[in-house]
Amino acid sequence: MSRSIGAPVATASTPEPGTASLMRAASEERAASGQGAVSGEPLADAEADGSHRMVAADDGERDDGGAIASCDERAPDHRWELLRALGSLSILPPAEHGPIAEALGLAAWSPAEHTRLFVLELPPYASIHLGPEGKLGGEGADRVAGVWRALGLDPPTGADHLASLLALYAHLGEASQSAATDTARRRLAHAARALLWEHLWSWAPGYLAAAATYPAAAPWAALTASALADEALGTAPPEDLPAALRQAPGAIGPEVTVDDLLDALVAPLRAGFVLTHSDLVRAGREIGVGVRRGERRFALRAMLEQDPSSSVAWLARHARRWAGLHRSHGAPAPTISDWWVRRATGTARTLDTLSRH
Amino acid sequence: MAKRHDTVEPTPDLGALGKRVSAARAATEARGETFYQGASKTILGAFPPKERWDDWVELDSRAWPERVEHHAMLVPTTCFNCESACGLLAYVDRDTLQVRKFEGNPEHPGSRGRNCAKGPSTINQVTDPDRILYPLKRAGARGEGRWERASWDEALDAIADRLRRAIVEGRQNEIMIHIGRPGEDGFTERVLASWGVDGHNSHTNVCSSGGRTGFQFWSGMDRPSPDHAHAKVIYLISSHLETGHYFNPHAQRITEARANGAKVIVLDTRLSNTATHADFWLSPQPGSEAAINLAIARHIITTGRANWSFIYDWWNWEEYLAACRPELPPTFDSFRQALGELYDEYSFDFAAAESGVDAATIAEVAEVVAGAGTRFSGHSWRSAAASNLGGWQVSRTVFFLAALLGAVATEGGTFPNAYNKFVPRPIHLPPHPKVWQELSWPLEFPLAQNEMSFLLPHFLKDGRGRLDTYFTRVYNPVWTNPDGLSWMEVLTDTDKVGCYVALTPTWNESAYFADWVLPMGHASERHDTHSYEQYDGQWVGFRQPVLRAARERRGEQVTDTRQVNPGEVWEENEFYIELSWRIDPDGSLGIRQYHESRAHPGQKLSVDEYYGWMFEHSVPGLPEKAAAEGLTALEYMRRYGAFEITRGQGQLFHQPVPADELVDTAVGPFGRVYSATPKPDSPNVVPMGAPTPDDQGRRAVGVLVGDEVRRGFPTPSGRLEFYSSTLASWGWPEHALPGYIRSHVHPANMAPDQMVLLSTFRLPTQIHTRSANSKWLDELSHTNPVWIHPSDAERLGVARTGDLLRVTTDIGYFVAKAWITEGIRPGVVACSHHMGRWKLVGHDQVSSGGMMATVTLGHSDEGWAMHTLEQVRPYQSTDPDTQRIWWSDTGVHQNLTFPVHPDPISGMHCWHQAVRVTRAQPGDTHGDVAVDTERAREVYAKWMEATRPAGTYSPDATRRPTWLMRPLKPSPETFPIPTSSPIRTASR
Repeated sequence: MSRSIGAPVATASTPEPGTASLMRAASEERAASGQGAVSGEPLADAEADGSHRMVAADDGERDDGGAIASCDERAPDHRWELLRALGSLSILPPAEHGPIAEALGLAAWSPAEHTRLFVLELPPYASIHLGPEGKLGGEGADRVAGVWRALGLDPPTGADHLASLLALYAHLGEASQSAATDTARRRLAHAARALLWEHLWSWAPGYLAAAATYPAAAPWAALTASALADEALGTAPPEDLPAALRQAPGAIGPEVTVDDLLDALVAPLRAGFVLTHSDLVRAGREIGVGVRRGERRFALRAMLEQDPSSSVAWLARHARRWAGLHRSHGAPAPTISDWWVRRATGTARTLDTLSRH
Repeated sequence: MAKRHDTVEPTPDLGALGKRVSAARAATEARGETFYQGASKTILGAFPPKERWDDWVELDSRAWPERVEHHAMLVPTTCFNCESACGLLAYVDRDTLQVRKFEGNPEHPGSRGRNCAKGPSTINQVTDPDRILYPLKRAGARGEGRWERASWDEALDAIADRLRRAIVEGRQNEIMIHIGRPGEDGFTERVLASWGVDGHNSHTNVCSSGGRTGFQFWSGMDRPSPDHAHAKVIYLISSHLETGHYFNPHAQRITEARANGAKVIVLDTRLSNTATHADFWLSPQPGSEAAINLAIARHIITTGRANWSFIYDWWNWEEYLAACRPELPPTFDSFRQALGELYDEYSFDFAAAESGVDAATIAEVAEVVAGAGTRFSGHSWRSAAASNLGGWQVSRTVFFLAALLGAVATEGGTFPNAYNKFVPRPIHLPPHPKVWQELSWPLEFPLAQNEMSFLLPHFLKDGRGRLDTYFTRVYNPVWTNPDGLSWMEVLTDTDKVGCYVALTPTWNESAYFADWVLPMGHASERHDTHSYEQYDGQWVGFRQPVLRAARERRGEQVTDTRQVNPGEVWEENEFYIELSWRIDPDGSLGIRQYHESRAHPGQKLSVDEYYGWMFEHSVPGLPEKAAAEGLTALEYMRRYGAFEITRGQGQLFHQPVPADELVDTAVGPFGRVYSATPKPDSPNVVPMGAPTPDDQGRRAVGVLVGDEVRRGFPTPSGRLEFYSSTLASWGWPEHALPGYIRSHVHPANMAPDQMVLLSTFRLPTQIHTRSANSKWLDELSHTNPVWIHPSDAERLGVARTGDLLRVTTDIGYFVAKAWITEGIRPGVVACSHHMGRWKLVGHDQVSSGGMMATVTLGHSDEGWAMHTLEQVRPYQSTDPDTQRIWWSDTGVHQNLTFPVHPDPISGMHCWHQAVRVTRAQPGDTHGDVAVDTERAREVYAKWMEATRPAGTYSPDATRRPTWLMRPLKPSPETFPIPTSSPIRTASR
């Protein structure tokens, strides 16, 4: 069976000839696609030097022998495996990730806790956090799939899952370190950098901050945030905002309709915050309204109908808390965190206005 | 489980942690286990890790909320429904040793763990309450429907005795094994060779031979292997292949290509599933497809997009100029000019006039194709190529496009299948038979791609021969072939067919007329190997009785597959070995030697030794791969079910011929290179063309390209044959180039009140009668209404879907329900070929299951009349689901009403029918069929007049060009036409 990149994406994608000719495909697709930041320059000249193995690991023979020493200041290390392992915990159920958690020194999740977090309340998909509707798939997923294609890879199911993104990032990092030529190394590193800023750092810190509020997930979330921050701090910051943030719809204004407000509040890209079902339960407790069972939009509507003023005021406070959270992980890329701070603050201001009406 | 930690370190040492994870992964993988398990609960397409295949645990969903565990052994095998040979994993319950379900085998390189509906439905076939479990012997008259149980010994002895007598008495040509879709690579052919019998008959001339012919005349290999996954443009004539044969392996790769921006172009008169996914759907007048192809070719040529350097090197353009344009200077410039002139008439307007497709649309499609460069993957299989007089030119003109673009064996291009197929050399390779079967390979069809199987009843009625013993093997000729009642007439005539043996897992319309019905296993109950072209790589797959493999995993020894199969169901491998021993018990006939053990001479060959030897000696890389896991090659295949031998074959024709193969060489006038060196042994015995040696007996070894001898193609010229000297010299010079032949259903050949009936198209959920008795598939697809356009329905006064139509052919009519839809071209009707199953009234030992209507079949002066007595209904059986059958309509058996239409060149039956469609008449009921088999004889005779028999047209007094492919090719001394042949002097 062919082996492919990293953890769960491996069995999902089982890429075959697509990856065998990765470099050629990459250079052609790149020209055509213009997808994301990876389209900036050719990926590699591997076709010329025949080193398809750099990215195409599907043959299961990643031959490190003969690779030139990496120009990376950090010696080849095990950080790729760390990122891959951390990502895999977000997708593999506890029955299958026991040895990985143990190697990471993390507590075992109960299946119920794991499902609650990663399936029900906080599915770790970029499309949910970077898509204008806050839902799986759509534009957010297409953007990530485009990256895979630009690299000449077949996007696996759930390419925008945190585990897949970390696995791809780790793979690009490894491939860069073992590249046979400077050009290939530079281009692979460029791809990794683009992936980091465009598709990981653009949303994952917020996601991990939300996950950290779940006791069972807190150690994993903190560790993953540390590892990701370590990558971000070691990488030159982006010149521009990620495309998803650049092209995001505008912040909500006081003229917003109820329906649109509900849509926006459950879409992180529009609201600037993550609003989980647990948050709503907490809100209900704090302001003394009932939380009706159902999806978040339904529950929110019920809260607003019961006590609009208190509910909107609570949401405004939630937005401000999130502005602070975004500010707290601003060091690696202030342009990104500033965007999120502005978005959350803007939402808070609008909600303040609405609460007065 | 991990130990519980309440917190992590506030400032974790990420480097140390990463190192620890790396070490844990390395240690896990060193044990042969998977560190990152497939996320089978989260992501579709993930699979049980193979290290858990001995004990895979699943919870019983019906027991919820209780946690009831099922422990299963996962044992691979191969689907036996369509030809794709997709990998299956049988989930064998460890406690009961019953197969619980079938899912995809992720280790299979072709199907990659995916299946269509037909794969998992194998479980229905295995557990079918109506399957045949024991050998049966006819009790009453043939076709009377009375049977008694017999032992295998009794059956084997009786059949072996007949066969032995026929062989000893020199009546080898009275023995025939008629195979449906083979699903195996050559085992049965070698059995026949061991008997010295040229008795292989296939269904191919009612299936794919038209498609094959066009490809073979180009490249010497008779089917393409499109690299869809990497194509820029995918060009499909009809959806047949992508809906039927290779639905799963091809569809998944076409889907990948589309995701990468490829354009899909589908030519199909009917809005097929594939057409609905196409970027361009063209609905042409049936039979006009080649005209469209040629208009595209002309566009490529005239707009300068032809790959001239490829054409210069690899087309036999010099031979063309010498043969057809001797007045021109023999230069490439002359050829380029001539090529442009040749196809000048195929303008977009011409193609539009022929096809009814708008010229602007054809032009747009042509531009897309012309822009594909070497990433053009094209395919044409059944449908147009299988349905029209001259349909073989459809596939020939599809490959023409690839050849013009240089998209031959390129990434994303179109490969010859032999590059992507591996047939391992078996333990014994018997010699070619020394007899020629004229009932299958008559002189009238010297270029036929495959056996003229569908003409067999007519040849028997002509008195050209008789059959002493006729086997059908998982095949149903009465139902599958055109003119099925003529089949029934000869099968019930003991003068014409002395003994009919049906090897079949289930009842079918032919087995009713057998003398012996012998139960053979389904996908999980038999051994076979197979390899099909599905991407640019070679793999070999292994079908096996999964319960045998499961028991062997537990340490038990199984020496006969009947020990694990239900009832006394057997498999063909062991059956034929045993039968061959009984034909030749003392070895004096020279047959037994090919069924003996090598390890223990004088003892019977076992399937373990047969496949063990093959995998050990003939599959490069497999023994080493197996050894790395501590397994023998056979154990590896029993465990994983498939092995990929190579990937990325590329342009094998371009490879230089090694110097040690170039001894005492000679070069023909157009660069064909011959060598005195013997052909090196190859472990891969994949069939392909066999170019004839030169006058000195040197073999064709390569072709000169510039100064280099390259491997070339297995054609007479060694190049791609734009010009076929074979067609030219065997009486068909007018078709020596890729061209357009007006179909027998061209408007000019039909009466004004006739319509074209598309009678052969697939649904992805059934496969003829092979998928019979699969309740899931039957529930999905059980009827075949006649597609009719609203404008035609209005014209004919057909008010609504479900109204009855009478469809009248040349020899009879059938009554079916109308389905009024805009998914069919006006003037054309269509009816899928899967349905219309029947059983005869009074055949009480046969259950009608969920797919067979009970019918009466009577004969009068007007011919045969079939009438539905009872539709399907719920019934009691060991399976409670048979009480839940909610449908009653199982369609109509339209094939009975089709006369034979043999294409005089390819030999393909041309399926399309010119029909008259009317509203049903008083007294008509759904499913009625009427056929005049005397009239069928007249139509047969008329089509035979179009042939150009070898006796008159052969350039060298042989029956057939020796280089052409032929299943079970007889020895060279059989090729000269015998002076006694009655066809020898047929007039021009």
